Amino acid sequence: MTLTTHHPAGDGAKPPPLPRGTLQRRRLLGNLSAAAIFLTPALALIVVLRLIPVVQAVNDATHTSLPGSTLPPRYVGFDNFTALFSSHAFWSSVQQTLIFNVLVNPLQIVLALALAVLLTQNLPATGIWRTLIFLPAAVPMTGSAVVWGIALRPDGPVNAALASVGIHQQPFLTGQGQVLGSIILIASWIGVGYWMIFLIAGLNDIPTVYYEAAAIDGAGPLRRFWSVTLPLLRRPLLFVLVADTVSNFVLFAPMQILTDGGPQGKSNFLMYDIFHNSFELSDPHTAAAELLVLLVLMIVIVAVQFRLLRSAEES
Amino acid sequence: MNRTPLPHPGAPAAHALTAPKRRRTGRVVLTVLAVVVALAFLVPVLWLIASTFRSSTETFANSSSMNWHMLWPAHWTLENLRSAVDNGFLRNLANSVIVAAVTVVLGIAISAMAAFALAVVDFPGRRIVFGLVVLSFLVPFEAIAIPLAHTFSDWGLTNNFPALVLPGLGNGLAIFTLRQFFLGIPPELAEAARVDGAGWPRIFLRIYLPLTRPALIGTGLVLFLFQWQAYLWPILVTTSDDKDVAPVAIAKTFAAFSSDYGRVFAETAVLAVIPAVILLGLQRYFVASVASTGSKN
Repeated sequence: MTLTTHHPAGDGAKPPPLPRGTLQRRRLLGNLSAAAIFLTPALALIVVLRLIPVVQAVNDATHTSLPGSTLPPRYVGFDNFTALFSSHAFWSSVQQTLIFNVLVNPLQIVLALALAVLLTQNLPATGIWRTLIFLPAAVPMTGSAVVWGIALRPDGPVNAALASVGIHQQPFLTGQGQVLGSIILIASWIGVGYWMIFLIAGLNDIPTVYYEAAAIDGAGPLRRFWSVTLPLLRRPLLFVLVADTVSNFVLFAPMQILTDGGPQGKSNFLMYDIFHNSFELSDPHTAAAELLVLLVLMIVIVAVQFRLLRSAEES
Repeated sequence: MNRTPLPHPGAPAAHALTAPKRRRTGRVVLTVLAVVVALAFLVPVLWLIASTFRSSTETFANSSSMNWHMLWPAHWTLENLRSAVDNGFLRNLANSVIVAAVTVVLGIAISAMAAFALAVVDFPGRRIVFGLVVLSFLVPFEAIAIPLAHTFSDWGLTNNFPALVLPGLGNGLAIFTLRQFFLGIPPELAEAARVDGAGWPRIFLRIYLPLTRPALIGTGLVLFLFQWQAYLWPILVTTSDDKDVAPVAIAKTFAAFSSDYGRVFAETAVLAVIPAVILLGLQRYFVASVASTGSKN
């Protein structure tokens, strides 16, 4: 992979032989400037799109201003955070966000994994079934949210289907006890097929010799799944776990379009609450403090996931 | 029909007579399961398409009781599509197409260049830069979109295409995926070209890009889907209706016409058909490109 082990030789005739040190230094400089040129656009984007907003958020979070005031914002240190931490609404939002994620992530990953295993069994027309399950990921999130919002109306088709088996009308998105489940349903219809594709790709990468060896040893399907598939699928699984968690932590469109965080704040997840504070309540300072809390929370959870899977790999 | 005994669920070869039969039964059960699950995922799409071609009154009249007209309109109409077109949805669709197309072209170029430098060009600090790129994409764009929108409005970058395109360009997943593919190309090719006097740009354009076309297509799909789905960022940086991308237009229609959903269905169906067709054609590239995401270096 590295080029340093190769010495710039092999061209005996043309250039006058330079001392080796000069050649190497010239090559190093050439590589450095090439790398700089190739990387500049991407690094500039990372600075503008990821670094500056975090700096801006820290700045917003430590200042305060009156809405509509022309006075420059005033530095207040951690005041916005202490105000946030003593707010009941904030803690309820944290709680709902965590409950949602604890439920939705394992559910989506287990389903995606089950479907990936099912659809790598050489069944007839597998490609079609894969495509149909993946299709919802192609429907833009806004569209899915809207269509499900209509389907889950009291007079919508889901209630009609329930009525035909004798279950009376459910409130779904407007029921305190059901809104979380409804959002999980919508998010999973969109997400499961998408993550399934990553796991299918991972399953296809597992060399069949491992399965053949396991079969010779008399291992049954379950045993093969635990002892061969899962260990060898750890890397794609870790990727899916982290990426799915991250994307569910910032899920936004269904709440903004369908529930406005309600009923009774049951779907008022942090990402929506930040938007709500920032734009509907015109309080960018509280929103920025809350955003930093969300970022820290996400980083901690992703780090724990990495640690857990790595220690599982070592044992 | 004597297939080689591949590692499929089934009994060990001990019971030579019953094993194939049992295996066949297992396959039938699994196939039925796959079909049922696939149809469960498909039904909402069918309902969406059916609702696009019937009046809203019919949509709800038929859903009050279960019958097959829920998925097959009794009276077909193009009224909903016409209503969407009459209300300027084509303008929003064009905005989405332009934003997505520019993002795909520029995004592939930027990601491929960065991935090339990180995979092929040997320079001090390469690991650190790569770590930075990976870390940057662990912070999801949505999480920092709100403070970024403040910055963009400070810079006067609102209500225009550059503001909509920019966030789609910096995609860590694209860089990561392409780097994996570039690492798979034998370094001897680049070395030989260098001995022949080729510079890095030439090696990049003449060797690496042509050899990784499937990965480039897969990356293009990732970038396309990101922009086609974009909702939070567009509502933050656009305020005028004629600059709205299609998903924003749908959300606005949904909020404004709570009794007549026909237009919402029509707009959603149109917006969904485009990526569905693209993905049907290019799905294998997508699978191939995500395959490297979880594998080790």
